Amino acid sequence: MKSPVYGLLLLLALMLPPISNLLESIMITHMHMQMPLLVVSGLFMAKFFQNRFPEFFSKWNENGVPGLLLFSIIMMYWSLPRTMDEALTLTSVEVFKFISLPFLAGVPLRDSWPKLNSFWKHALIIFFTILFLALGWLYIWSPVQLCNNYLVIEQITLGWGFISTAFAMVVYLIYSYFMDFSKYE
Amino acid sequence: MFPKNRTALSSLLVLMFGIVLFYIGTDGFKAFTAETARVNQLMDEKPQFPDVTLEDNNGKSYSFSEFEGKYVFITFLYTSCGTVCPELEVNMSEVYKRIPEEYIGHDIQFLSISFDPERDDPKTLDTYRKAFGSDGETWRMARIPEQQELDSVLDRFGVIVIPDEYGNFAHNSAFYLVNPKGQLIEVMDYTLIEEAADRVTEILHSGREE
Repeated sequence: MKSPVYGLLLLLALMLPPISNLLESIMITHMHMQMPLLVVSGLFMAKFFQNRFPEFFSKWNENGVPGLLLFSIIMMYWSLPRTMDEALTLTSVEVFKFISLPFLAGVPLRDSWPKLNSFWKHALIIFFTILFLALGWLYIWSPVQLCNNYLVIEQITLGWGFISTAFAMVVYLIYSYFMDFSKYE
Repeated sequence: MFPKNRTALSSLLVLMFGIVLFYIGTDGFKAFTAETARVNQLMDEKPQFPDVTLEDNNGKSYSFSEFEGKYVFITFLYTSCGTVCPELEVNMSEVYKRIPEEYIGHDIQFLSISFDPERDDPKTLDTYRKAFGSDGETWRMARIPEQQELDSVLDRFGVIVIPDEYGNFAHNSAFYLVNPKGQLIEVMDYTLIEEAADRVTEILHSGREE
């Protein structure tokens, strides 16, 4: 069981000031690289918590839905223009980012995913496709600068990042509709 | 306690946590961008305009206390700006025209402050002033030559200026109204001319009654 160690190392690496400053200096790497990597570090570390508190996870996250909800809430929270801006100007918000994304989004997602039936899995992907399309639309066609710390051009880049991610998820949804994955398992 | 439907209970708890998180993060669902939060906070704090030295379009230097006893309507700009600033100044001139003449110069002073003191010398400011129909007296354009003083004003009023690689600045814009004691009392949306003019007239009117 090496994966929690790798997760912790990833989290520590992301916390190093040169790395966090670099990723935060560009809007799209802040949202579409640093934040997902923080979630990934949580995915790796989840095993540690599952082994440590098996009772807690099996009792309170029996069907995976509470964990899925928590993951979605944290992800939505970090897609607000304001939270991203304040992570740069307020230390408390920055600290919360480094705690909430790994431990309140990554860990519950890892615990929930195998427990979820395909209805919930697809519901989650459809939900994030719609959310990303809406956010892409907001960031590209918003007449105002949403974040004080980034230029408008970066905001538009981020918007297209959201749209392309949504597109990729649509491709996956179509693919999974026509293909029978159980044949491969 | 042995709840019979534990996952429903934990889902509910998670949802409540989410609502609290969003409530705190957006100041009670009021501010979804940092700019709205900034404006709300400024109006609560009512910061004092620091007593800095201004140099205006006539080349005269004086401190901000020159305007004591008057309301001051302020915008921040730089003259080489090709995007927001011309619009900001046109809108400012529209507000200027809508304020009843009896107040102009007596009760209220209009002031455009440049945050690019290197390029915006009095001569440049004077040319810029003419383009927007400012008279240079009741509506002045000025720079704050001391960088340190300029920074203190920008910081106090929450104006964020980011220089880009082409010699331009990205910045947030608004109409600011400072009261006769030098405190910031209103931050208004610079695109809503009528609303800003009405609000200012109302304040001037009640100011006279006192």
